[in-house]
This record gives sequence, structure tokens and C-alpha cells, in this order.
Amino acid sequence: MAKQRASSTLKLENVTRSFGTTVALDGLNLTVQPGELVALLGPSGCGKTTALRIVAGLETADSGSLLVNDVRYNDTAVNDRDMGMVFQAYSLFPNMTVAENIDYGLRARKMDLPKRMKQVRKMLQLVDLEEKSTRYPHQLSGGQQQRVALARALAIEPTVLLLDEPLSALDAQVRSQIREEIRAIQLELGITTLFVTHDQEEAMAIADRVGVMNKGKLEQIDKPTVLYNEPATPFVASFVGQANRLPATITGKGNVKVLHQKISLSRHSTDLRDGLPVEALIRPESITLTTENDDEATQGLLVSKSFLGPLTKLGVALEGLPIIHINSQSKDVKSLEIGDRISFKIVADEIMAQNV
Amino acid sequence: MKIGRYSLNAFTIFLAGTIFFLPLLAAAEFSFRKPGGKGHSFTNYSWLLQQEGFLPALGTSLRLAVLSGALNLILMVPTMVVLNLKAKRYKSIVDFICILPLIIPVVSLAIGAQVSMPEFLQNTEYELVFFFVIVALPYTYRALDSAISAVDIKVLVEASRSLGATWFATIIKVIIPAIRSGIIGSLFLSFALAIGEFTLTSLLHWDTFPTWTVVAAQQNILGAIAISVFSFALAIFALTLVGILAARKKNQNLVLENEEVE
Repeated sequence: MAKQRASSTLKLENVTRSFGTTVALDGLNLTVQPGELVALLGPSGCGKTTALRIVAGLETADSGSLLVNDVRYNDTAVNDRDMGMVFQAYSLFPNMTVAENIDYGLRARKMDLPKRMKQVRKMLQLVDLEEKSTRYPHQLSGGQQQRVALARALAIEPTVLLLDEPLSALDAQVRSQIREEIRAIQLELGITTLFVTHDQEEAMAIADRVGVMNKGKLEQIDKPTVLYNEPATPFVASFVGQANRLPATITGKGNVKVLHQKISLSRHSTDLRDGLPVEALIRPESITLTTENDDEATQGLLVSKSFLGPLTKLGVALEGLPIIHINSQSKDVKSLEIGDRISFKIVADEIMAQNV
Repeated sequence: MKIGRYSLNAFTIFLAGTIFFLPLLAAAEFSFRKPGGKGHSFTNYSWLLQQEGFLPALGTSLRLAVLSGALNLILMVPTMVVLNLKAKRYKSIVDFICILPLIIPVVSLAIGAQVSMPEFLQNTEYELVFFFVIVALPYTYRALDSAISAVDIKVLVEASRSLGATWFATIIKVIIPAIRSGIIGSLFLSFALAIGEFTLTSLLHWDTFPTWTVVAAQQNILGAIAISVFSFALAIFALTLVGILAARKKNQNLVLENEEVE
């Protein structure tokens, strides 16, 4: 399969957008390199969809610049932008067949018929739906509909592919399958892609880089592993992956005292003064079971045990604290029963803390 | 129990069908009776055709009904689309306005609307077109609204625009086909209402098929029944025709079979 037209660079520079008194985007800066897939991740209302819609031309920015290959696109009409978009809701035209849906953008470009047919067949092959070309959207499953929507968006050979939570309406199994297909196609075509989602697993699995957004700003953008292991802000630490929030105290020299242990403070935990009570953020896999004799051990009551295949998630109750979650190897905790008293300790080299 | 539910459904449909069709069948049978009530013939229908003013009145009504249907679509389709795409917050106001013709007495409507009608229309029968559109508003609004609510029109428009289509192409190729059922329903309703409207027409002293029917019915009761059956058959025929034309699938589907792709 030939690559799409030369991949483009997408840049948002200091983009702001407000709806009444609500600030949706507060000076967003983002660069997506040619051929890169960047996922914007964040809770509802964080501005990720607004950012995507501004790129697509479906919303206008109050200020700031949108650049594609260093050409300003702010004032380009949506139908002149050459961007392919896949929507969250099923967006196929109900009166058109699969082939006609894919052909729609090509007809709008007044391409001649033989070229259009060739391109439509190419796209049908790409999403493996050649057999369904004459079906109507209502005759397709949700997953098939989104694959057609992807083919339709790619048929016009867009400069940038925009994916607005395209998997959220699908059930779990189909979602993971389509997610892999999207990534494979994106890599095959080498198309610059911006993907918006609120599902962190989806973002981590599909993207070259993930940008975590909060209150209209990009908190951190990096590779998924960096986001998870070295979160730049407490928000990223708590939003990406799970984190136990435990009361702690800054003890000076970059240390934090939490439970019975003193642990180094992450370099990203700034503005924390000695002696102040803070909240430590500890990943469930950074806590391990130990013996009663261990000096650093804390004891608690096992109140929940969820088997997740290779891992088992334990919930431990301590007086005056929220339930502490521990992820353990299933084979190591087989014999534990709810109601047992267990000992555990934190095994992280450094942890992140935030002001209470 | 399944069988019980099916039997109940079948009984309900049978009952509703009987209530709907029995009077029509009785009227049809009655309309073919010879004067005096013995035997059947086309006498009443031939009487109908011989009546003075029959064809002009029918022609006027059909002309006004077609114009009403057209004006209704020209007015309501863009309004409903814009309302759903750009001005959803005003929907409740429009909803209220479109219900008003049901609340306002026809006399007030006739006098009020006629006063506000442009002068060049005040003395022509075409002023009725505007009245018919107003009177049909509560029904046409609902038909279009339910069709538009059934599809995510905003997403369809955004998808079309992002694929490079102009607004015009989006309306013609995406919006209208997507809400076709509502457009046909709306057209049916405004057409049927216009062709059968009596009160307003009579108040404003215009001659249309319904007003002519009332006068003609006073001379011949069997003829009057024939007129009713004829009007009903005409309406069904006209609406079926519109339905068939509207439902006719375009025959230029993109066919990919037997095409070679490199």
C-alpha cells in the first residue's frame, strides 16, 4: 500500500478557546511530528475534544495559531482543510452504501470516476470490507461502521487524520481489535494523527506520545512509559494508571515519610516545604507483601481480593486511611483470604507527593 | 406468553382496521347505489362529473395543495435544520409558535393573517396557500422534528463538511436524504390538509373543492357520498404517488464489481 501524501507537521501555538465563562483551552501548545500518532488524554471537559475540533475547523480558536506544515490554517474553511476525521458517534451517511460513503469525499473533490473507484476499492481492502461495499450502514456492526468511517476519512488522503474517541461506542473486544487495526493502518500509511480519548489504556496502547490535558492545558506530553513512570505533575500521576493517595510528611533532604517508611521524593514534586503534611501518590505495584518482622512493614486487614489473571488486586484497610490497593502476582497471594492480617511495604525508589 | 401476545396484536390490528375501513367501505358501496337504493351503477359519479364547477374547484384545490406543500417544505426544512444545528436553545420557542395554530380560533387566524398579508396577495386565491401552511404547521413541524431527532444531523453535517463538501452539497446529498421520511410525512400532511380545508376557505369566500362539495351535497345525497369517496381516493392516489416518487432509489450507485485495482 502506497503511503499517503508526504506526512505533515501539525502545530497548535498558544491556542485559547472559551465558551462563555468556561475556559476550554488555556494557551495550548502542541506539535505532532510527521507520521506521528499523538493521543490527547484527559477527563471530560479538559478541552481535548475542543482542541481536535479546532484543528478540524469545526470550532474556531479565540486566539493562537493552528499550523499545518507551517502554513496558518486558522481561517481555512472546514471543507478546504483536507483533514480526515472519524467521529465518536456513528457518522456514516445512512442513505449511502459503504462504497458511496467512502466515495463521498472523492466526489466532493470532483475526481473522475475511474480514479474514485480505484481509491474506494483500495480503502475497502485497507479496512478489509470489500465484501460489504454494497451494504448500508444499518446493515453493519458498530465495529464495521467505524472501519468504514476510517476508510472514508483516509480516502481523501488527508494531511492529518483526526480521531475523536472513535472506539468509545464499541464493546470491549471489538474496541481492542479496531484499535490495533487503526494503529496498523496509521503506521502503514505514515499519516500524522491526532487521537482524542478519555480511556488511558487506549491512549497508552495506540500512541507514540500521549498528552495529558487538564483544565484546558497540557500537563505533560511524552511517551506512554515516561508518563507512567515519571509523571510530571500529581494530576498526571493520579490520572494515568492508579495511585494510592496516602497522608505523608516532608522530612527534608528530598524525603517523604509515608506509613513507616522514608522514601525519596520525585524530582517533579516541587513547592513542598519541610514538615508540611502532604499526600503521597503510590502505584499499587509499588507496594509489596512482606513479613511481620520487616522493620518497614505496615500491617492491615485484607478486605478485598480481585483476580485479574496474572495479577491479583488486593484491598487493605488501615484505621483512618483510605483502602490501600496492592497489585501482586496471583501465584504469590493464592493462599490469602479476606479477613487475613497482612504485612506490606512500599518498594518504590521515589514517589510523588502533592500539597493537601 | 408469545402466542397470547401475537393473538392480542392481531386482534388489535383487526379491530383498528375494521373501525377505519368499515365506514369507508360502506360509503363506497353507498356511493355506487342507484337513485332509489336498488342496484349499483356509476350514476352518482357521472352526475358528479357533469356538475358545474366540479373540475375548476378540484383544479384550484390541487393547485393550492401543491403550492402549500412546496411552500411548507421551502419554509420548514431549512428552519428545522438551522434550528437543530445552530439554534437548539430556541427550539422550545419555535415549538410553542408551531402549536399556536391549534390554539388560535380559525376566525381570528383568518382575519388577523389576512390583514397582515401583502396587498398583492389579499385579493387572490393564493393567499390561501399561506393560511394552509400556517394551519398545517403543528403537524408538519412534528413530522420534520421527529425525523431530524432520529438522526444525529450535527455529526452528519460535520462529517460531510470535513470530507470537503460545500454547504449546498451537504444539504442536498446528506441532510435531505437523511430526513426524507419526515419531509414526505410533512408533505403528505400539508397536502392532505390543504386539499380538505373548509373553514378558512369558506370564511374568506373562496371556492375550492371542499366548499363546492358542501354546496353540491345539498342537491344529491348519494352524489355527496360519491364526492367523499372520490376525494378520499384522490388523496390516497396523490399521496401514494408522492411516496413512490420519493422512495425511488437513485440508480447511480457506485458499483465496484468487475473493476480492476492495481
